[in-house]
Amino acid sequence: MIDQLRKIYSTLQVYKDSSDELGIDYKWFTTDNHEVIGIRNDELTSKDISLLTAFLSPYNVKFPNPTDVEGKWRKLIFSTEPIEGEKEWKPSNPFRFVYFSFNKDQVEPILFKDAIEALFDKQVSILWHNEHEGFIIEQQMVDEDSISYDQIIDILMSDLYVKINFFVGPYKKDVNDLSLHYKSLTNVANQVFQYTNKSVVTYVDAIPFILTKQTDEGLRLDISKTILHEYIYDEETIKMIETFFECNLNLSETAKVLHLHRNSLQYRLDRFVDKTGIDIRQFHNAMTVSLALLARK
Amino acid sequence: MAELKLVNVKKVYDNKVVSVEDFNLEIRDKEFLVLVGPSGCGKSTTLRMIAGLEEISSGDLYIGDKRVNDVPPKDRNIAMVFQNYALYPHMDVYNNMAFGLKLRKFKKDEIKKRVDNAAKILGLENLLNRKPKALSGGQRQRVALGRAIVRDAEVFLMDEPLSNLDAKLRVQMRAEIQKLHSRLQTTTIYVTHDQTEAMTMATRLVVMKDGIIQQVGAPKEVYDEPDNVFVGGFIGSPAMNFLNGKLIGNYFIMDDVKLLVPDGRLKILKERGYDGKDIILGIRPEDINDEQVFLDFSPETKVNASVEVAELMGAEIILYSQVNNQSFVARIDSRFNITAGDTIDLAFDLSKAHFFDKETELRIK
Ligand SMILES: Nc1ncnc2c1ncn2[C@@H]1O[C@H](COP(=O)(O)OP(=O)(O)O)[C@@H](O)[C@H]1O
Ligand SMILES: [Mg+2]
Repeated sequence: MIDQLRKIYSTLQVYKDSSDELGIDYKWFTTDNHEVIGIRNDELTSKDISLLTAFLSPYNVKFPNPTDVEGKWRKLIFSTEPIEGEKEWKPSNPFRFVYFSFNKDQVEPILFKDAIEALFDKQVSILWHNEHEGFIIEQQMVDEDSISYDQIIDILMSDLYVKINFFVGPYKKDVNDLSLHYKSLTNVANQVFQYTNKSVVTYVDAIPFILTKQTDEGLRLDISKTILHEYIYDEETIKMIETFFECNLNLSETAKVLHLHRNSLQYRLDRFVDKTGIDIRQFHNAMTVSLALLARK
Repeated sequence: MAELKLVNVKKVYDNKVVSVEDFNLEIRDKEFLVLVGPSGCGKSTTLRMIAGLEEISSGDLYIGDKRVNDVPPKDRNIAMVFQNYALYPHMDVYNNMAFGLKLRKFKKDEIKKRVDNAAKILGLENLLNRKPKALSGGQRQRVALGRAIVRDAEVFLMDEPLSNLDAKLRVQMRAEIQKLHSRLQTTTIYVTHDQTEAMTMATRLVVMKDGIIQQVGAPKEVYDEPDNVFVGGFIGSPAMNFLNGKLIGNYFIMDDVKLLVPDGRLKILKERGYDGKDIILGIRPEDINDEQVFLDFSPETKVNASVEVAELMGAEIILYSQVNNQSFVARIDSRFNITAGDTIDLAFDLSKAHFFDKETELRIK
């Protein structure tokens, strides 16, 4: 159907990912297959629009108008060869890509962008993947007033009634291989929230997830069974171990969080040693068990 | 103003974790209801389902008479304050309070009316032009509350709003939030893992564990009559002591230690068929005494205990001791100089103690 429509409307484009711009000079529709297509306004009469809405649903998401800088970023990231004659644009500060996602339909992209810009107190480039996912491009700056992504989540949750996840990429200085970097971050971002229920995950946090994910499923299961023995299905012990890791192997802290007596925590860890031969009070053992726990997910 | 009702609410996350189950609760109009329990017990999940930020897997949620499962959060007439609460760093106090309304395209004079009103309630009138940097910790927290107040919502939802504050400010803000509640009378659901906070703030509290409600009641009710071992141990600090033993005849027996069970309790225990059975004795640290009058008065509930640690806390001493190889904590007046290694007599006030089933850990009543 799209091909047929394209014969009639030469400006038709399919909105797949961020490489397409969802501009306001287009009228957007969704097909039965949930594809989003756009036709330029100047190619549509009102008769056309009524006809098209008879078998397509109008797609009413309003994206903020792409800014110049956003356009430049797109070029840097998505175009394969440098554009002839144009001097290549480069960002002036180190920058990082921060992936965000929120539940569909909880907030309009325009509102989201307004709020983000209010938080950073300046224009912020956002590359949208769809109406609830994308990347914020954050330029590094010395700002004593800056706030954390955990705080941003809580502020926007109360202002916009939206629950957001952030995957915070590493800072970069040069723009070489940006396309690859962007792709790999997108890839990690799409997986990382299956492994954790934190709302903010940094690139550093994500490394163990990414590495574990590379291993094939059979091996992963085998590793977690071999290391964890019967504890593999013992949610209570696993929670205890995870808390112990979150508390940086600090016994007193863990006991406090779990409302356990320090001695009974000691006792449980000793029993884990008896059953598995592994003492997770030692760092290298803790690392192995931590990976085995990830492999289990 | 609004009542809320949760009926058989359940939440299962994508990863199949059941995080809240069998959640049935009616929240009264104007109530200050506190959800309390250890980390991971499902408090935030519950609150977020009420807010609409997290989908309800099954069950019904009503605000007023309306089932709101499918109503988007912004249309539920709620306002929220969270733990990592911060202000927009570059905006002054006025705009911090106004911004949420601006985003929602409220009219200018309506915004001004609401912000001025909130500022008056919170005593922020003279600080409206200040940036967050120029505010004290307490003032910032008040602005945070102001941002919720301007919503004019029917329900306030607060998720550990004080847990990032230092101890002194936390105590001060507790009082401030209570004052605010008694003035605005807005139905409030407040989440905390801190039992002291729960006890001091709640009109009613809901104790949760592993996604399941353990007990609902006024703070004193829950403190005096815990439904099970978990609630007894969680509410109160230092925690309730639990000692394993057997009911034989009129006595709670721990090997060679015998404690006489008072008549009323004994009658219930026998009626419920616990004679000769293993039971758990629960007794709060403050119901263990070392005063001579008590000791003389209760010859048959006396324990000779060896003191392992004695923490002097000013007017009282917290004693960590053992009886029959079971640890317990006592809280006594610090008139005498007690040190580790001492052996002393302590009287257990069994009229204030509770007995729990060994298997189900439910209070026998
Ligand atoms: N986004 C999520 N995805 C999967 N599991 C989650 C998520 N959020 C919370 N959980 C799990 O649900 C349970 C309850 O969590 P939560 O409601 O945050 O508890 P609390 O607020 O009482 O600390 C925990 O086991 C937690 O690991
Ligand atoms: Mg929580």
